Amino acid sequence: MVSLPWMTLLPVLILAAGTVAVLALDIAWPAARQAHLTLISLTLVAAAAATIPGIRMSPGDSLTALCAPSGGLCLYEVSAAESLLQLLACVSALLVVLLAWRDWAHGEGGRTAVLSALLLAATTGVVALSGVGDVASLLVAIELATLPTVALVALEHRTRRQPGAIDAAVALLTTSLASFALLALGAALWFVSTGTAILSPEALIGQTGSDRVVLALAGVFALAGIAFKLSAVPFHAWTPVTYAAAPLPITAYLSTTSKVAAVGGLLVIVQAVTGAGISAVGVVLGVVAALSLTLGHVIALVQGDSVGLLAWSSVAQGGWVVLPLATLAPGATSLAVGYLVIYLLATMALWIVIVAFANDPARPDGTSMHWMRGILRRQPALGLAMLFALLTLAGLPPAVAGLLAKIGVISPVAAQGFWWLALVAAINVPLGLAVYLRWAWLILDPLPAPDSEAQVAKVFLPPLWSMVLGLLTAALIALSIWPVMFR
Amino acid sequence: MIWLLLAVFAPLLGALGLPLLARLVPKAPARVLGVGSLGFAIATLTGVVGTVLERPKVSLEWIPALGVRFDLAVDGISAPLLLLTGLMGVVATAVPAHIDADNAPGAAVESSRLALYYACLLGTIFGAVICFLAGDALVFFIGFECVLLPMWLLIAQFGDPAPQALARAASLRFLMVTALGSTLMLIGLLAVAASTGTTNLQVWAQLAGSTFSRPQGLVVAGLLVLGLSFKVPVWPLHTWLPWVHSSAPSAGSILLAAVLLKLGTYGLVRLVIPVVPAGFATIAPVLGGFAVVGIIWAGLACLVERDLKRLIAWSSIAHLGFVVLGLASGTEAGMQAALFGNVAHGVISGLLFVVVGALKHEWGGADLGTPHASLREAAPHWGFALIFGFAASMGLPGLAGFWGEFGAIYAAWTPAPGRPGGFFVLLAVGAAVGAALAAAYSARVLREVWGGERTKPAIADAGRIELLVVAALVVIVVGLGVYPSLLLDSTAPVVSTLLTGAP
Repeated sequence: MVSLPWMTLLPVLILAAGTVAVLALDIAWPAARQAHLTLISLTLVAAAAATIPGIRMSPGDSLTALCAPSGGLCLYEVSAAESLLQLLACVSALLVVLLAWRDWAHGEGGRTAVLSALLLAATTGVVALSGVGDVASLLVAIELATLPTVALVALEHRTRRQPGAIDAAVALLTTSLASFALLALGAALWFVSTGTAILSPEALIGQTGSDRVVLALAGVFALAGIAFKLSAVPFHAWTPVTYAAAPLPITAYLSTTSKVAAVGGLLVIVQAVTGAGISAVGVVLGVVAALSLTLGHVIALVQGDSVGLLAWSSVAQGGWVVLPLATLAPGATSLAVGYLVIYLLATMALWIVIVAFANDPARPDGTSMHWMRGILRRQPALGLAMLFALLTLAGLPPAVAGLLAKIGVISPVAAQGFWWLALVAAINVPLGLAVYLRWAWLILDPLPAPDSEAQVAKVFLPPLWSMVLGLLTAALIALSIWPVMFR
Repeated sequence: MIWLLLAVFAPLLGALGLPLLARLVPKAPARVLGVGSLGFAIATLTGVVGTVLERPKVSLEWIPALGVRFDLAVDGISAPLLLLTGLMGVVATAVPAHIDADNAPGAAVESSRLALYYACLLGTIFGAVICFLAGDALVFFIGFECVLLPMWLLIAQFGDPAPQALARAASLRFLMVTALGSTLMLIGLLAVAASTGTTNLQVWAQLAGSTFSRPQGLVVAGLLVLGLSFKVPVWPLHTWLPWVHSSAPSAGSILLAAVLLKLGTYGLVRLVIPVVPAGFATIAPVLGGFAVVGIIWAGLACLVERDLKRLIAWSSIAHLGFVVLGLASGTEAGMQAALFGNVAHGVISGLLFVVVGALKHEWGGADLGTPHASLREAAPHWGFALIFGFAASMGLPGLAGFWGEFGAIYAAWTPAPGRPGGFFVLLAVGAAVGAALAAAYSARVLREVWGGERTKPAIADAGRIELLVVAALVVIVVGLGVYPSLLLDSTAPVVSTLLTGAP
């Protein structure tokens, strides 16, 4: 008999039920677009609330469900850090709904129900991924988190970005399928070498010789299969293509909620192999981190479009998240999660501004960075919020939260004496400054001589957006003073 | 306690409050902002003086996951540097701002722009105060990083307007080089933290590197010294400094030379020498060698440099070479000389940048070839300040510069046991040659700027506030020169505990 504690599974169950409910509502009342959007918002809020008990646990504890009656091996297990990931997934998805609301409620085409259901389904996958305890669930959860986003990318209808949307979706789909193959191979090798599908350190007890080689291969393949969701180099190729053509709210989803999925999956695998001390996995993670950081920053330096810059910045930021995991040190996972929290808050703030610019009909090609020149003079509050978010990503005080997050991810690397990786990190800190301060400079710099009305026209933010932007900035400031993101 | 709060919050509130004020009262006259920022700087100085006298200690829980506590404290080494920071904050906010309106030279400056300028000055001071107060390595690091953004803005936004691209390039170079250095230092700090299990500087000094194996200690000391060398700067990592000084506004130059560079040398004293003594001892000859090469290199550069501000920057590199040489010698006398030279250079370079900044404004450029009246004829007050500054800078006995340089050469002549004596004697000789070069380039500058009979184009002499600032700095330079015990007595007890490792 398998135990089934409903409360533990609640975040996943709520989201799954919400997905079904949206489709049911569509059958009953197809025209009610606002009702659909309200329903998915409430579902996300409820799921977010359901993660709170898990977050309040002390660091050593975990919530388990679907456990075998003997042996205590479980198919679902969340620690406090993983509950935090689930919360982040729900909150970031909620922000995407906010950004997409106008399009989905008023745009042409009656696909609101489909879009809503896809969004919820993907988020269900993300939330489930943080808790999976075995390789089969891992495979299912990661596909659930990915395939709906492919459809969401393809369903762009705005004329400006539409021509590339199909290509973007295909790029994402191809990468995800290739990665799935790698992941499946990794899962198979895990099963071969351990004789169990459960992903836990206990499964590794008594491993010797050739088993360990197979196990190392399993870990490496599995990581390669998940890395694409983090846009980590060399699995990043889809990122610039997709970011450039997908609907902007969906791009925001890919750069926030999807990252949570990737980190959730990475944590599951890293925790499983940490105890066994399989250094090959660490080396692979280190190389991935080093490549992502360097390539991401260098290419972000020459971007002229805010979305392009965020695409490459997300590659580099993925590198920072992976960095501590490369040490396979026990405390590294919470540091990676702490970094992710800060990255998400800052990135969400930037997305609000970018989508606001893009929605403004006065500016064709609204995501180009030159529209933001001198914004600090025209709209100081908006400019300051952007500046703070950029400084957070750069890790420069007064955005102390960003700096502490960087200190956090570098600390295990320095502590364990991974000097080559530490050196790569040291070179990438100034590169990152150059990337984000180039943008910050545009915000600060006065407009030389406005050559069109559009350049000086104020950008409109709906009141709710302004409020959320204010909240995100306030959260970053609060975390700069009370850095509670590390647990 | 109240003094400590004043020292920390006055610059912070000023940095945040002035832009807000300019926003709320868009027509606020420039005078109000200037006086306001001066008020905040004076409050900071008052707070710092009170803190130094009272010596309070603060220790707050901050980041338990990384084992970091928000520790602030003062001792004999940080006290003079805190006073220097407070004083230079007042000097920097008191000297005329001389900034142009956006893209329109000559037009009235918007109050928001002026407010940003003063906010940057106060922000830099805030970071430096945190740094010198820090009793925890990561708090030190955060203070270290806090100065970057305001300084970047000062140079990029308020630097030389002529080729603005040049100022931007210089500011970005400053930022990236310093960030690279500070990250290398951070890696070293984190390695020490992992090994000792704490980030408390006092505990680090007590453990004195006993938790490290020999190669580990060497790697960590190497990282820390390399990282801090970017900031000091030590030859050959100095290349960013002359550029930055020639583009920065004069208040920015004052803070950069008098305060920011001190963060680097203070870091060596606080984070390296007591923490990984064995590792540092191994590196010291190399570091000393670079320092002496820097002294001579910079001295030679000063003989040919045409830009007056860049020239002072080169001379800073030479002076900090003496400081580093004193530290490398590993003796008490050397460290005493280094700490003295550190403060002396802060005051003297502050004075010189006040003068040179004013001359640059009057001449319309800092190039020595710019046609200008000789100071002797046109501006005797500035002339006196310049002569005095260079006299102190070349290390004349009786002025503050003497003790640091003389002491460093003496310490290199008799280095700590274990250091290669013959090599250090060689270094002492090299440093003495460098000191002679200082006399040569000082004479060159004074001949071109002060001497001569040229009376056109005339320039205005120092105003009342500038005279007051110059007078105060002159008094300090003379005071430290004739009565060095004022400073040496403060640092002596701490120096001996730092070098022996005993609490």
